[in-house]
Amino acid sequence: MATTATPAPPTLRGVQPLRAGQGNSFLWHKLHSLSGIVPIGAFLIEHIVSNFETWNGPLAYAKQVLFLNSLPLVRVLEWAFIFIPLAFHALYGVFIAFRGRSNVNVYPWAGNWMYLSQRITGLIAFVYIIQHVWRQRFAGVQLPEHPGAAFAKVQHELANPWMLAIYVIAMIATTWHFSYGIWLFAAKWGITPGDRARKRFGYVCALFGIALCLMGLASIYAVVYKYPNAPADVLPAQTSSLTPGAVVIASEIGPGFSPDITGRERIGL
Amino acid sequence: MPSTIKVEIKRQSTPDAPATTEKFEIPYRPGMNITSLLGEIALNPVDVTGKPTTPVTYDSNCLEEICGSCAMLINGKATMACSALVDKLTGPNKDQTITLAPLSKFPVVRDLAVDRSVLFENLKKVKAWVPIDGSYDLGAGPRQHPQIQEQRYPLSNCISCTICMEVCPQFNDATGFVGAATIAQTKLFNMDPSGSVLKEERLRALAGDGGIQECGFAQNCVQACPKQLPLTEAISDMGRDVFIQQVKDFFTR
Repeated sequence: MATTATPAPPTLRGVQPLRAGQGNSFLWHKLHSLSGIVPIGAFLIEHIVSNFETWNGPLAYAKQVLFLNSLPLVRVLEWAFIFIPLAFHALYGVFIAFRGRSNVNVYPWAGNWMYLSQRITGLIAFVYIIQHVWRQRFAGVQLPEHPGAAFAKVQHELANPWMLAIYVIAMIATTWHFSYGIWLFAAKWGITPGDRARKRFGYVCALFGIALCLMGLASIYAVVYKYPNAPADVLPAQTSSLTPGAVVIASEIGPGFSPDITGRERIGL
Repeated sequence: MPSTIKVEIKRQSTPDAPATTEKFEIPYRPGMNITSLLGEIALNPVDVTGKPTTPVTYDSNCLEEICGSCAMLINGKATMACSALVDKLTGPNKDQTITLAPLSKFPVVRDLAVDRSVLFENLKKVKAWVPIDGSYDLGAGPRQHPQIQEQRYPLSNCISCTICMEVCPQFNDATGFVGAATIAQTKLFNMDPSGSVLKEERLRALAGDGGIQECGFAQNCVQACPKQLPLTEAISDMGRDVFIQQVKDFFTR
């Protein structure tokens, strides 16, 4: 009788074969891919659209910050849909990035460059977001309690030309990463399998990314150049209690705040 | 017209021996390709300084880009040696040195011959075959419609040369990525009317560590494939099928 035992698989040097049925990396990769679209991508759109209110001046921006901080369960929303998914996406993304072996020096093809760009823009966004969240969300004036101080806080930050350069670079990197990320999501999840479908969707993602980036850069322009010397707090009554009447008080101040009085003068410095 | 061709070959006498580079100067003949160039060296294995050496070891079989054996790094890029024409590799003045090296991501057996068993292990993991073995005559298989044939034919052109894996930034020791060829063969056999009986097992295998999720969509595979397989389309389609299978399994198994 012939032997029925299957021969033991040879021990191979080099790259190991597929570990069929082993590990959870499929789940983690899919969560990483999905979290980039929702909730992080959705949040990025919200963030850039909200920041675009700076185009309408410090008071409009303060009202937007007040609105966001008035959302029910806002701290829960913040942790569940922003901080935790973002930390996971960032850390797992760094793990993925450092396991790739880019070879654009040998194969300088468009897709290969985009592969590398997705890792570089991701790392730029990772470093930027750490300092951005620390300096704008947790350090300095607490914007949830003082939404009126939002414009001045950002303006003060961007008064440093180095910081301004960092914000411009990070805006381009982040919107690049997100728009190519949407394209990658559609390609990898089998939404756009065909070559032509992928190409068409590439144009859609590029246009979307450029629009998002320009909105973000316009917001930076508005903060730095359009409304110089913004008051330190345009909603001074809005201290620790977020009462509905606050907006009425704010509108009494109106958009006609005196631009020749700086925020520091207004608060008596 | 040049009278000789300059070649630099990375050589290694055993899997563990240190690699060395040997230079050759070969008499030019019109229409040469890299396999015929290596044949010329085997006829007269003498390096450029006149020192006798051994013929260069390399895998080859069909010499017409259909067996997939002779993939190697030619001028640094993964290419089939049999279809790489010398006239196109020596630069505009036809005087540049051609460099040959073994594929960089597979263990060297000797010189330009590498061990590509990992692809065959991967094909076994996804059961890239049609199960028709039995103790009695199973009769004729189900009819395969021409529309399905047309989709499957390009995928059946895979010659297992492993160039798609060599050029892939995700195919490396850290990820243990399965590579495009195996994913394309999964689609080929899942679309076979008889082979589709193993569809779920194949899709589950591709969700293991080193599976389809490791693809970074750099698309080098589809650019480099000597047989123009629609590899990115296959990865996209299998990405969707593997995901749907995982969701189904989560709720039903």
